[in-house]
Amino acid sequence: MRENFKIAWRNLWRNRRRTVITSASVFFAVFFAVVMRSYQLGSYDHMINNFIESFTGYLQVQNVKFQDNPLIDNSFNYTDSLAAAISGVDNVVSVTPHLESFTLASSGSQTKGVAVIAIDPGKEKYFSDPEAKLVRYRITDVTLKRLKEAGNIPDKILYRANKSLGRSFSSPSRLELELNLSDEEKQLYLGDILKCLEAPNHYLSEDDNGILVSDRLAGYLKVAIGDSVILMGQGYHGVSATALFPVRGIIKMPAPDIDNKLIVMTIPAAQKFYGAEGKITSFVVNLTDKSNHTINRAKNSINALLRDKNTTTKTWYELNPVLYQQIQGDSQTGIATLGLLYFIIFFGIFGTVLMMVAERKREFGVLVAIGMQKRKLKWIVTIEMALLGAIGLIAGLVTSTPLILYFYYNPILLKGDMASMMEEWGWDPVMPTAWFGPYFYWQTLVVAVMVILVTIYPMRKIGKLKEIDALRA
Amino acid sequence: MKNKLTVILLALISLQCMNPLFAQDFSATEIVKRADDKFNGEKSSYSVMSMTVIRPDWKRTIEFISWSLGKDYSLALITAPAREAGQTFLKRNSEMWSWNPSISRLIKLPPSMMSQGWMGSDYTNDDILKESSVVNDYTHEILGEENIGDRLCYKIKLTAKEGASIVWGKQIQWIDKKEFLVLKAELYDEDGYLVRTEIGSDIKIMDGRSITSKIELIPEDEPDNRTLLEIREIKFNVAVDESFFSQQNMKRVH
Repeated sequence: MRENFKIAWRNLWRNRRRTVITSASVFFAVFFAVVMRSYQLGSYDHMINNFIESFTGYLQVQNVKFQDNPLIDNSFNYTDSLAAAISGVDNVVSVTPHLESFTLASSGSQTKGVAVIAIDPGKEKYFSDPEAKLVRYRITDVTLKRLKEAGNIPDKILYRANKSLGRSFSSPSRLELELNLSDEEKQLYLGDILKCLEAPNHYLSEDDNGILVSDRLAGYLKVAIGDSVILMGQGYHGVSATALFPVRGIIKMPAPDIDNKLIVMTIPAAQKFYGAEGKITSFVVNLTDKSNHTINRAKNSINALLRDKNTTTKTWYELNPVLYQQIQGDSQTGIATLGLLYFIIFFGIFGTVLMMVAERKREFGVLVAIGMQKRKLKWIVTIEMALLGAIGLIAGLVTSTPLILYFYYNPILLKGDMASMMEEWGWDPVMPTAWFGPYFYWQTLVVAVMVILVTIYPMRKIGKLKEIDALRA
Repeated sequence: MKNKLTVILLALISLQCMNPLFAQDFSATEIVKRADDKFNGEKSSYSVMSMTVIRPDWKRTIEFISWSLGKDYSLALITAPAREAGQTFLKRNSEMWSWNPSISRLIKLPPSMMSQGWMGSDYTNDDILKESSVVNDYTHEILGEENIGDRLCYKIKLTAKEGASIVWGKQIQWIDKKEFLVLKAELYDEDGYLVRTEIGSDIKIMDGRSITSKIELIPEDEPDNRTLLEIREIKFNVAVDESFFSQQNMKRVH
């Protein structure tokens, strides 16, 4: 065996070019497949994190009628004991109560239908974290003028800031990225820039009677911090819900369709407003991971805890089937593309093997003629093929690893028009790679299958080899 | 001469006596008009009412006072529950306004709110605004006579006139033969589907006339839902003029 292996290894390097070409085609197949799939899965992961972990949650406890008819009437009683019991279920990371409804918001002569999400300001930090979404910096005519008057900011940066007029940012890093600051510029000017562009903003306190308004909605209603917004709608069991709420803060939601219509208030304020004492519409539950196994187990455990027969637990894909199907559809497309890639590569490998067998026909003939067993010859060729595949595979995996690692920790951040486009679709303009998972190991299997299929040809050729004919070749 | 006079007198008296017999021969339009006049025949009215919204698992009662002048003007003031007391609604021609003391804001109800229930009931804002004339906007036809409970009623079909801007395509009303009160009405849309049933009951004498003091509305698509309107007090021809139905007055009446 060891001897066979040694012979196979030497055989490979007797014709270096052929070996390099064959394993290079395996290498490219593996490299592209891994990187492509990693990006694809990574963006989905990010999308799920972005969208599900901070919007629908992996699981939600709701009134059975709420999903079809999201009225405040279809709510249920909040109890601390139930919240605590759900927190105790395996794999549960956070349990966040929500009271969600729709009303009319009005300020001056502007009126708009809005989504009201009532939260527990403390617990919400572990879920959608509205505090991190408060607009901290804003590029407006006023702040831009302030920036110009600061005097020491170079025109280059002012020009870039002017191009981003009207945009708002929740963190210095996002602003930095938008203005495309170099390390040196950051050192010199970032402090001044932040000071000039700063926007005052506040989060809600535990029993605040104020509201947070999403950025675009605030623009439409023409309200700023300290102004009041009238909310008008129907509350619990048809009572009329009308009240005036002071604006405490402006939040920037990444997805524009949410940014256009979101108002956040505290649960006690909403319960009073809607006349729904002690009611909430959902418990939003986040889990450690999103595998079906974890989700289903947690769902069953939580369902067992629910005493109120009108409540039930729903998974994120039941709550948002469109997103789920979209992800699945895209994933299938990705797999089909990979299949195509491998198909082409397979014939590339097959071509080189075909050539190899033709080139070595005489050699095989001589070996068999001087007494080498065909079985042994077949073994050696098989090992050669396996080595070719392994070289390509390992080279592919090894070269793609640093790439995946790098972009996992430093995801590609999109800027400018591309970023605004992504944001308009509702995605965060970030393209991370996925951490090593089954997709990575699967490549080994695919390459193994290709090598086995390709090996059939030399096996048959050797099997049918006639020494006389081969020697004359 | 004296004899002749007696004959005429006698004839006149007997004519008077025969009047109830003539009642049997009212035309369909006259019957509908007499029933309509019970509520809408006078110039103005003042009423105290309660409205109970009934749903399969809850119900809630709202009390309000309303003033009206003709078909075009009306003003309603909510008096209970405490949470909503003080809200007023003004109808002037085809516009509806709402005043809410908790936000001190006067709001003209936008078209988007027209199909919503008034105060969460089964009466939509449109029902209140587009109240049509059952006499002028429909053609009438007697279908026969039927008992509603133990009262004999005319069964009358009202078909909307071509071009009339009204909500219903067809109505069937059961009008009490003695008192000319609508005891039951079925309202159909333009395609002939039954949309809701209204039932009048609990006949009482108020302000010198008998009226149905309870009106129940049952929507056809949600047969478990209903809205019950009870008239506690009603006065006709009260002294209100057009200037009473103003935005200023919405904030003042209490």
